[in-house]
Amino acid sequence: MRQLTLDVQLDRQASFNNFAGQNNHELLVRLKALASPGSFEALYLFGPSGSGRTHLLEATCALARQHGRECRMADSSQVGRDLPLPTQGLLAVDDIDQLNADAQIALFRAFNSMRLSGCALLLAGSKPPRDLALREDLRTRVGSALIYEVRPLSDSEKADALAEHAHSRGMRVSEDIIGYLMRHGRRDLPSLLAVLDALDRISLEQQRPITLPLLRQIMQLPLEADDLS
Amino acid sequence: MSEFWNNCLSQFEKELPAQQFQTWIKTLRSEEEGAEGLVQIVAPNRFVMQWVRERYLPRIQELADAFFGEYRPVKLSLGAAPEKMRSNSGPTSGSTLETQHNTVVLDHSASSVNGHIGAAALVATRNFSNQARAERAPEAPREVVRSAAETNREKSRLNPAFTFDSLVTGRANDLARAAAMQVAENPGISYNPLFVYGGVGLGKTHLIHAIGNAVQKANPNAVIRYVHAEDYYADVVRAFQQKAFDSFKRHYRSLDLLLIDDIQFFNNKARTQEEFFYAFNALIEAKKQIIITCDTYPKNIEGVEERLTTRFGWGLTVQIEPPELEMRVAILNKKAESEKVRLPEDVAFMIAKNLRSNVRELEGALKKVLAFARFHNREITLDVAKDALRDLIGAHNRQITLELIQKTVADYYKIKVAEMYSKKRTRAVARPRQVAMWLAKELTDESYPGIGDAFGGRDHTTVMHACRTIADLRMKDDSLNHDLHVLTQVLRS
Repeated sequence: MRQLTLDVQLDRQASFNNFAGQNNHELLVRLKALASPGSFEALYLFGPSGSGRTHLLEATCALARQHGRECRMADSSQVGRDLPLPTQGLLAVDDIDQLNADAQIALFRAFNSMRLSGCALLLAGSKPPRDLALREDLRTRVGSALIYEVRPLSDSEKADALAEHAHSRGMRVSEDIIGYLMRHGRRDLPSLLAVLDALDRISLEQQRPITLPLLRQIMQLPLEADDLS
Repeated sequence: MSEFWNNCLSQFEKELPAQQFQTWIKTLRSEEEGAEGLVQIVAPNRFVMQWVRERYLPRIQELADAFFGEYRPVKLSLGAAPEKMRSNSGPTSGSTLETQHNTVVLDHSASSVNGHIGAAALVATRNFSNQARAERAPEAPREVVRSAAETNREKSRLNPAFTFDSLVTGRANDLARAAAMQVAENPGISYNPLFVYGGVGLGKTHLIHAIGNAVQKANPNAVIRYVHAEDYYADVVRAFQQKAFDSFKRHYRSLDLLLIDDIQFFNNKARTQEEFFYAFNALIEAKKQIIITCDTYPKNIEGVEERLTTRFGWGLTVQIEPPELEMRVAILNKKAESEKVRLPEDVAFMIAKNLRSNVRELEGALKKVLAFARFHNREITLDVAKDALRDLIGAHNRQITLELIQKTVADYYKIKVAEMYSKKRTRAVARPRQVAMWLAKELTDESYPGIGDAFGGRDHTTVMHACRTIADLRMKDDSLNHDLHVLTQVLRS
């Protein structure tokens, strides 16, 4: 019999503590400084999808709010013709490479008025500034910000992040499981975490302990689904 | 806390010229309040606050970190004035109906369009409050000492950092600079309007702020206004929505110097162009100076009425061109100097050679190098600079695709790319295919089944076998090991 699980998920709030990777130390320190009161720099960070950009934006906003700064975080699709800057606050915009024409002008104006509003600007995208397909007056402004590339995690850091994630969900996961996952699965962190979450859910549903055979079975699932389609 | 501040003061006294120290640092005070561990610095007015924030705050933060031996956020704020200003805008404390009305309108406008939010709104609110109070009663001492010149400066929206002194001159901008200085000396008389055009990020805005700052210095009571064309447009829209065209017109026609940036943003905005046309005529007639920047010369602006573009050419039109190598180096040196950093020549040349098209990104690159060196506590050398600039080109996440691996390996072993997914199993193609699979596993995030798919729909066990075979063989076979090494290098470079 299948055990129904409650649709309750662990609320995993983005913070600097649950962002893995020593390679990004400088970036993290810089973001913490950006969140602190009195900072009004512009910072642009980029990396491929799955590298943790959004996580970092959310973590920075959360920290800034703890410091009592007003914060606004917008995804590119939410930006319209106006992009008000919170005075003395922090404005974060994700996926700036996706901004439409009006939104690009809005961000351009945000750059121009940040000095007078004493506002910090945190932007993220998938490409380095020189490859961004934005209006040139905006692209060069992004290029004048402090630029960081989100460094990819090494395999051992990914394994650590998985173990940490499993632990936070209260899962008992042996090193074998993580090793197998790293060898056989896609090794970008979002995919790995998704398999781990599926493993947790199915182990609860089927009331089976987390073992290698169960993991193998789960990892076959998407393939079977592909075959059927 | 005061111990820290004393330490900070004496440090700055050593580092800064006496005049700068007196003007900016001496006027600050530290305050013990707020959350535990917060270093609170209070500035006497918004102008000082802005200036200190731009120039000295990072250094104060560094000193605080060093003094306390840990990270302590430094918060820079204004004296008691802002709260007073805000309370004045509230409905209970307003003195006359008119004042209340003005204040409310301004607050509303501040939140509606972003060009003028924040400080500008507060300034505007304060000015109205000041006017109202001047009519009635004694005021708080802090407000009294605010000189007219100071208020003027805040209203002008000029960036005090953009001066003729901080502008590097070269062939690319010497004509524009000479014309600008002439205009700054004789505003409204020599060339009216002054029309400055050039590509993106070449220093047009810097130049016109420099004119504004020079005029202000010579005549602190001059009414100056810097406005970006988009913000002018927003002003028009707001005036339209609030039926306040009279005050809008009054404001723009009362100026002694109007600096309007990026006029190409007027394109296809008929009402804005019309309003500007009248303002332009009124100002020119009154011999008030207008300075315009644009990304192209007047006749070439798209979507702007001819009666305007003709008028733009009435005065003097000057171009700013992209800076040549030597000038880019000079710009970097100047910038480094203002940060009190010595930039080795080879580093300056390296940065200047890599970023050619505009000054803005050039300065961004320098900022990156300085921040990197400071953070890692390293001297600025060519290697450090190269390391720092890797972030600018995305060197860390170079995407290696399966297709790239297949093509590179096929080229290396001189076989066809199609052999990578063919059914053939002869040694001549099977071994390169295994090599490619092993590289795919090592250099990409793909799973065994994903790799199998890309190699002609092979089973994931085939990929696992290939990876194991190559991993074993490379221990025994030097030439294979060499191949793997070279291929990895090629793919990563």
